[in-house]
Amino acid sequence: MMFYFDTLAFIFVALILLGAVPNIFYSFGYLSHIKRKAHYQVHYFAFIASMIGVVVAGNGLVFLLFWELMSLTSWQLILTELEDESTIKAARFYFLMTHFGFLFLLLFFLLVTNGDLSLGFDAMHAVASSFAYPTILFFLLVFGFFSKAGVVPFHVWLPYAHPAAPSPVSALMSGVMLKVAIYGFTRFLFDVVYPWPLEWGVTVLIFGAISAVVGVLYALSEHDIKALLANHSIENIGIILIGFGMGMIFDSLGLKTLSSFAFIAALFHTFNHMSFKSLLFMGAGSVLHQTHTKNIEKYGGLIKSMPITAMTFLLAAVSISALPPSNGFLSEWMIFQSMLGSSNMSDMSLKLAIPFAVFALAVTGGLAIACFVKAYGITFLGLHRSENARHAHEVNFLMQAGMILMSLVVLSLMLFTPYYIGWFDKTIVGLDHVSVYAKIFPEGIWKMHSVAVHGGVVSPLILLTALVFVTLLLLLAYRVLGVKTRKYHTWGCGYQTTPRAQYSATGFAGPIRRFFAWLYKPQEHFHKSTIAEHQTKFSDAHYEVHVKPLFETSLYESVKRGTNVVSYWVYRLAHFEKTRYAAMIFNLMLTVLFSYRIFAHQFSWATFALESVVMLISIKILIVGEKR
Amino acid sequence: MILYIATTTLLLLIAPLLLSFIKSLKMVFLFKRPSSLFQGYRNFSKLLKKETIISEETSAITTYAPFLVLSPLIVAMFFLPPIVKGAYYVSFVDAFTITGLLSLSTFFLMLLGLDSASAFGGMGSSREAFIAALVEPAMVLTVFSVSMMAGDLGVAHASVNLAEHFPKEHMASFLFAGISFFILLIAENGRIPVDNPETHLELTMVHEAMILDLSGLYLAIIEMASSVKFVIFASLFVSLFIPFGLAYSPLIAVTVFIIKLFAVATAVALLEVNTAKLRLFKVPNLLGIAIVFAFLSLITFYVLGA
Repeated sequence: MMFYFDTLAFIFVALILLGAVPNIFYSFGYLSHIKRKAHYQVHYFAFIASMIGVVVAGNGLVFLLFWELMSLTSWQLILTELEDESTIKAARFYFLMTHFGFLFLLLFFLLVTNGDLSLGFDAMHAVASSFAYPTILFFLLVFGFFSKAGVVPFHVWLPYAHPAAPSPVSALMSGVMLKVAIYGFTRFLFDVVYPWPLEWGVTVLIFGAISAVVGVLYALSEHDIKALLANHSIENIGIILIGFGMGMIFDSLGLKTLSSFAFIAALFHTFNHMSFKSLLFMGAGSVLHQTHTKNIEKYGGLIKSMPITAMTFLLAAVSISALPPSNGFLSEWMIFQSMLGSSNMSDMSLKLAIPFAVFALAVTGGLAIACFVKAYGITFLGLHRSENARHAHEVNFLMQAGMILMSLVVLSLMLFTPYYIGWFDKTIVGLDHVSVYAKIFPEGIWKMHSVAVHGGVVSPLILLTALVFVTLLLLLAYRVLGVKTRKYHTWGCGYQTTPRAQYSATGFAGPIRRFFAWLYKPQEHFHKSTIAEHQTKFSDAHYEVHVKPLFETSLYESVKRGTNVVSYWVYRLAHFEKTRYAAMIFNLMLTVLFSYRIFAHQFSWATFALESVVMLISIKILIVGEKR
Repeated sequence: MILYIATTTLLLLIAPLLLSFIKSLKMVFLFKRPSSLFQGYRNFSKLLKKETIISEETSAITTYAPFLVLSPLIVAMFFLPPIVKGAYYVSFVDAFTITGLLSLSTFFLMLLGLDSASAFGGMGSSREAFIAALVEPAMVLTVFSVSMMAGDLGVAHASVNLAEHFPKEHMASFLFAGISFFILLIAENGRIPVDNPETHLELTMVHEAMILDLSGLYLAIIEMASSVKFVIFASLFVSLFIPFGLAYSPLIAVTVFIIKLFAVATAVALLEVNTAKLRLFKVPNLLGIAIVFAFLSLITFYVLGA
């Protein structure tokens, strides 16, 4: 069975198409900007096709084939604009990270298929359930898919790869490709390694909570608009995984309804993130296209020259900040509700731990609002901060069409929530979980209920209508009053209002950066030319702050250093003697044989210890030799 | 239905009165001659008559944002718990939605601050974003805890439940949640330990900085919004944490409710007279206390048994 098509595959194909169709319009509008047109187009369409291929793949071989094709085409797409060195570096990093994940996936498939990669999912499940260490399978999935989805600590490639790629591609990668990783995780978790121990759910929840907070914090300190959005992808994948982890926890505790509710929330957020993140990347791409800079400090006042971009970006910003009545609010509301369901658990330690995840999600929400006020306000409002921003004008029709179509997708997720949830419910039922649609919408589509005991109710449509109605009423009152208006400059305390006097993005994030200084470890560069040695009077000043990416500097750099040390020792051991080479090959074979024993047979500490001792002795005698 | 509309309108009408009351009470405490209780209304009608000056540097955001600041708050007003027993109430709106509506209003207020292209607006927005980001988790956790005690997440229903069966066995977690919510009331409304509503000094202001460039009708709308926000918080506090008086006949119930609102206002005024404004970077400590109390409230609730 080459291809497999069920409701899960169907909704993810729908997700890819919803993300890709507006993107194709946008991409054609963007094409004039790209030099290697043929190269770009071939890889672009192959990329979309390969994502669909991954989702409908029916066995391990086809899945891996399309997965690899997806990685390679997106890698080539990052390399489309080869203007500076950093693009090549970013692409190389992406290549490395994506194949790091691929290795784990390959191992996973080899283990669950007994080496026959053409087995279908049901057959895989049979093999997996007889496998002695299912937790190994779970962690292979975690490493494999999370490195693609950009979950902390595998997220470091995102803030490099997304800014380097052309904007339509960043929209596709962030909006759609990360979701394909979520698809893979869902598929193999449900279909292959099904009965989950409680610890797995907790692990996913912890990964999610950390990603959400870390992602939004690094987004706040970012000045590159596309890197900012990339960090927000990390955050939103974290939110999706919080929902997912709650679902897994409820499932292993036997709370089936709550579990289905949490999974639906996670799927809904997956769709929402696809819609608004694609839209945000398109908006950022349009701004970049017009101003030729990614530095957010060089924008400003673009709402006047680019109204369509500004309005669609505002819609997406409201949605990603989880403000009512947007779709982002609804999915985050559902995830909160499923966490409130934790009060039904009987496990006290878990019950006391879930509020910390609630806290993480709430902090994320608050900081996301701050971050999007910054992104929107500095980019689109105020005065032009640079010459480039002054010459910007609205993008061409095709790019506008792409953005408008994508904002229609956002609006449809907002207005037709019940229909989407109906589909997610069918998906969950298709994965052998209980249906909760009737419990979410017991009295028709107007009110959305939480399935938790004492859960809340929300009514997106009534909220939207009420907000629109009240705002229109106020506007009407304004018109009726017929207020006299006059235009004049902003009052700048007697000084002139100049672009330089405005708050900058660095300044805006200042208080938060200072509060989280222990995480950011900011490096400040402050330079001023003082007048006649006065400390307080200066003619010119320059301030820059850079935030160290903690995970990259600590985790990745230390791995790099460790590898260097090891390779140095191996090099010293070798000494270019033929006997040593032979001895090393012998020891390598021993390692392979022993590790095969560990995987293929029952693990026992005694054999493990014995084999380790044998290994150590053979290394000591054959390779290290006597001390000189 | 009539009672519902009447009480909501009443709350809207007394909104400016509460803020003026706090101000004049503070003046009494400081041995100054108090300003009139109706100063709020006077300012409003004065601003309505004035010419509105719109800055040349601004965009469509300034034209529409003031309405979008006010409208979520007015919508939230209609979702508040009932004042009178038997009055209609919107049972289907939970506290997350109300928090969300308040955030929506703040979001547009912050954009408004950045739109005027002045350093003040940006400063105010930046500080407000910082405070709002830390208020959010405390708010959600407090709401979580209260909803457990009241047995419903819908605010209106929760307050009715609390009034009918007060959870005496959970007094400790109830008090912790109450303290946490009062700190949030102070922080969200920009009262003294967090922000000084009367100052126009760049070092101290948060809310005033964002709206520095507004005048005339727009200023009136924003002032209205801040008084409505105070009433929302005060009546949530009163209905959730001082839940009695609902059982009386309508007239007495309304009177009791208004007396309670004024009691909250008095508490705020006393706090304002007796404390100094905190430095911006000390505000997280205060909000940290709110977060810790919210956690404590939840933990005591769980440990003492649901």
